Amino acid sequence: MVRQLITRICLAFMLLLSVYPFLWMILSSFKTNREIYNPSQLLPQFFDPFSYRLLFSGEFIDFYEVLLRSVLLSGGQAILACLVTAAVGFALAKGRFRGKMILTGVSLLVILYPKQAMNLSLFDWMASMEMTGSSYSLLISGVASGLGVLFFTQVFRKIPDELMDLARVEGESLGESFLCFLPLVKPAMITYCILHFFLCWQDHLLPLLILGAEQLTLPLALAKLADSSYRIPEAVGLAAGVMAMIPLLALFAIFFRQIRTALSDWVVS
Amino acid sequence: MSENQATGIGEKISSLLFLIGPFVLLWGFFWLVPLIGSFEESLSLSPQLVGKIASEEQFTLMNYSRALNDGKFIKSLENTLIFVTSTVAITLSIGFFLACALFGIPKLLRGFSLFLLLIPSLALPGTLANLFYLFFHGKSGALNQFLIIPLGLEPINWMMNPSWILPCLIFQAVWRWTGLITLLLYCGMRAIPSWQFEVARLEGATSWNRLSTIIYPGIKHLLFFGGIFLFVDGVASFSGAYNLLGGSGGVLDSGLLFVTYAYQVAFPGGAGRFDLPLATAMCILVAVFTVLISWFCIHFHKQKHRQEW
Repeated sequence: MVRQLITRICLAFMLLLSVYPFLWMILSSFKTNREIYNPSQLLPQFFDPFSYRLLFSGEFIDFYEVLLRSVLLSGGQAILACLVTAAVGFALAKGRFRGKMILTGVSLLVILYPKQAMNLSLFDWMASMEMTGSSYSLLISGVASGLGVLFFTQVFRKIPDELMDLARVEGESLGESFLCFLPLVKPAMITYCILHFFLCWQDHLLPLLILGAEQLTLPLALAKLADSSYRIPEAVGLAAGVMAMIPLLALFAIFFRQIRTALSDWVVS
Repeated sequence: MSENQATGIGEKISSLLFLIGPFVLLWGFFWLVPLIGSFEESLSLSPQLVGKIASEEQFTLMNYSRALNDGKFIKSLENTLIFVTSTVAITLSIGFFLACALFGIPKLLRGFSLFLLLIPSLALPGTLANLFYLFFHGKSGALNQFLIIPLGLEPINWMMNPSWILPCLIFQAVWRWTGLITLLLYCGMRAIPSWQFEVARLEGATSWNRLSTIIYPGIKHLLFFGGIFLFVDGVASFSGAYNLLGGSGGVLDSGLLFVTYAYQVAFPGGAGRFDLPLATAMCILVAVFTVLISWFCIHFHKQKHRQEW
């Protein structure tokens, strides 16, 4: 009984540590600098959304454009990565061909090679190909995801081989079977799409290197707003932080049950 | 070979090209070629050394030896190692505890609690850094108010005291990843067949017995996966430290992580040294080391798993 009580208190403390600072952040986006520098004060004196007005006024950065660029970039890359890696995962799980081990090894290597250590090389290569300064090149560069390949290999392994045999009897090729089986793994597709979106959404170094100074994504915009040399009110940076969390929170809230189920299935396999 | 066989092979090849072709093409273009290019770059003459050494010495491993003799690089590696090991150990321990604790609360509250725990993982590292600076940091910040002052100690200036900068970065990383690791471990625990717990109950097993003979063996591969994920992410950590320390390594470089230093070496604005060959040599050294350690761990884990079975 005592042990259970202690466990619950610890859990409540961790929940508080997860939620309270963000609640403070949302409320502080309505505060003045003076109120913000007193972290024990939770509520603002006045609920004046001046920081949101400033943020969207374009005085410091064009936040509409930043938000749109981040959504399109992360969304586009997530959808492409999902399709491309699901196809490889299907081939690895259900196909019979030489070089499967090599392809699995390549995927593992992509995961294990630290992404940020790769970014300098990628920047150098893209600069030599004159591909820097373009959101499209940034979008396409992250599509070949090792994590996606390994994730979908496990997902497609769970599809019974009898269904594959049936498709073969019907005269369908491996590629056609993949297109037929895609609807069966919809929860896994949604889960991976959201996970990839989440990873791309948070990427900082590669956009910093590849995109120009005028083409900001959300992590770059937040760094700029937090830079003290611009003398921007703290509430504006906090408002940007709140706005940056909304799309991800909404995606996770809507699909949380599906994500949990897909992850549990993946864990079992 | 009959015509039918030839058509079958042709179809198989075109199917495989359709399935794996785009991935291989993109991987080759955006991963393999840049990697080969960066190795070549790391062997080229650094702009800092132009005119200082004889031309026949240019294509050597000089940049690698310069990296290994660079005190700041070694310092950044030491910091990264402490950062990574602490983050992995603390996050996995707390995540494991929280995943177990979630089973002790009513079923209806579990999903909601899990979602709340995930919130820091969903925030941008820049938001976390900003929040850390404004909420936790400072004399009247939460850390001093609720942790230091109640213990009767003097308030700590977290980001200006060299002894505390690295722990702050670790705190930020643990805060960020604990929810995601908890979700992963919780899903793993949910997948353990319930009959195992039923048998344990009938046998009168204690909580410790259940933990050590059912729960831990059931999710240890996930703990391993989480550990590898946190290890690779920690080595490549950039955004949190960059935002918190403004692109520098903090006082006395006590928070200088490897990627931040490589970025400082490669581009102006940091140390302003414009030395891409040296920076790529540093990246290759660390990346190869990371891959080898991870690969060795995976191999060791697999072998141990096979022996147990």
